[in-house]
Amino acid sequence: MQAYIQGTGCVSAQDNALFSGTVREHEGDRMPVADPDYKQWIDIKQIRRMGRVIKMGVAASHISLQDANLSMPDAIVMGTAYGCLADTGVFLNKLVTQHEDMLTPTAFIQSTHNTVSGQIALMLGCHAYNNTFVHGAFSLENALQDSLLLLAEDPSKQILAGAVDEITDYSHQILSRFRLYKNASTGNLLHSGTHGTVAGEGAAFFVLGAEKNEHTAAELTAVEMLYNPASEEETFVHIAKFLERFGRPDLLVTGRNGDVKNDGYYGAGEEKLFAGVPVAAFKHLSGEYPTAAAFAIWMTAGILKKGTVPAAAMFKGETPAAPKKILIWNHQNGKHHSLILLSAC
Amino acid sequence: MEKLMADLKAQIIQQLNLQEVKPEDIGNDQPLFKEGLGLDSIDALELIVLLQQHHNIRIAKPEDGPNIFYSVRTMAEYITAEKNKTA
Repeated sequence: MQAYIQGTGCVSAQDNALFSGTVREHEGDRMPVADPDYKQWIDIKQIRRMGRVIKMGVAASHISLQDANLSMPDAIVMGTAYGCLADTGVFLNKLVTQHEDMLTPTAFIQSTHNTVSGQIALMLGCHAYNNTFVHGAFSLENALQDSLLLLAEDPSKQILAGAVDEITDYSHQILSRFRLYKNASTGNLLHSGTHGTVAGEGAAFFVLGAEKNEHTAAELTAVEMLYNPASEEETFVHIAKFLERFGRPDLLVTGRNGDVKNDGYYGAGEEKLFAGVPVAAFKHLSGEYPTAAAFAIWMTAGILKKGTVPAAAMFKGETPAAPKKILIWNHQNGKHHSLILLSAC
Repeated sequence: MEKLMADLKAQIIQQLNLQEVKPEDIGNDQPLFKEGLGLDSIDALELIVLLQQHHNIRIAKPEDGPNIFYSVRTMAEYITAEKNKTA
């Protein structure tokens, strides 16, 4: 079952200027989003209760709905690995420092993983199906699979699907202890050849429908996951079968993140399965986070709609002119592999 | 009383994260809920916690809440009355 992407919205370290060749350069071990003026979409009385991750999600969802010219979706499905980390931190801190007494409701209410999709529904007055997938690095992919199933059941539906994750000072500090991150710049991250990457965050939402219309940016042709393959070989067999079914892409977008161990998978896979296929990347533009593939879908849908590949996204090979079929291959720690195929309409 | 009301305004803004509201924007007799400052039931819970945290006052009768939290002045009067009881 495929779907059509009728609208896209993204709040990330980059913005739409990426497609006209302007990259927001970052330096350091974390890549924060470029916060837009959230008051464009959120009433000032409501905004005061929202953590950053909620604002990011609400903004991205509104942009995608505007892009699709849709006021009310038939379902809201999203994925998040970390949920509302900042408010969880605030609530847990108060729990400890105030000895479980005099706890305020706001941080508690805003600390659950499904707060973002709930807040989107509240603001839209949307009483339809609302689901949040919290499946680590497969959170986005499961949200997309669920959306495809909903469309298979009822092709007349328009689904608002997406993902969101944030970095907080706490989470960054804790994850840094595992030596996951290093200082790098947007320009040199993918060629650093050392361990570690740059932490990222972001929100991206898409309006999915079963029918093509005048707003359609791209076709979401396939979404597949491979969990915990026993070997590189098993991964490559899985990808080879995928390619047998859907054909070779005009462009491969990999989840290269500048970590030499992580990127080794892509190098070996490209040699074995994608000889001659130009390769792009996205994590030097978005940073690494469990639902970063949502940024890749946003970027890829933009490439297919506009017919040009941003020069900053290219990693290897000649930049293809107006690619028609783009495969996103992303993995986290070699454990969670996802294949997301988008096609031009 | 004036000092207490000024303190309360600053505490309300901080506790409720009222972005872009300044203490001078809140009138002493302006209703805090609905048509006034536009607070809601979640804010009411925050104000109860504010009284506990900043003034060490627990509201004994929840049904008195609407009168106590009607305005900054009614809150200040309640705090003053409660403190006089224990003085």
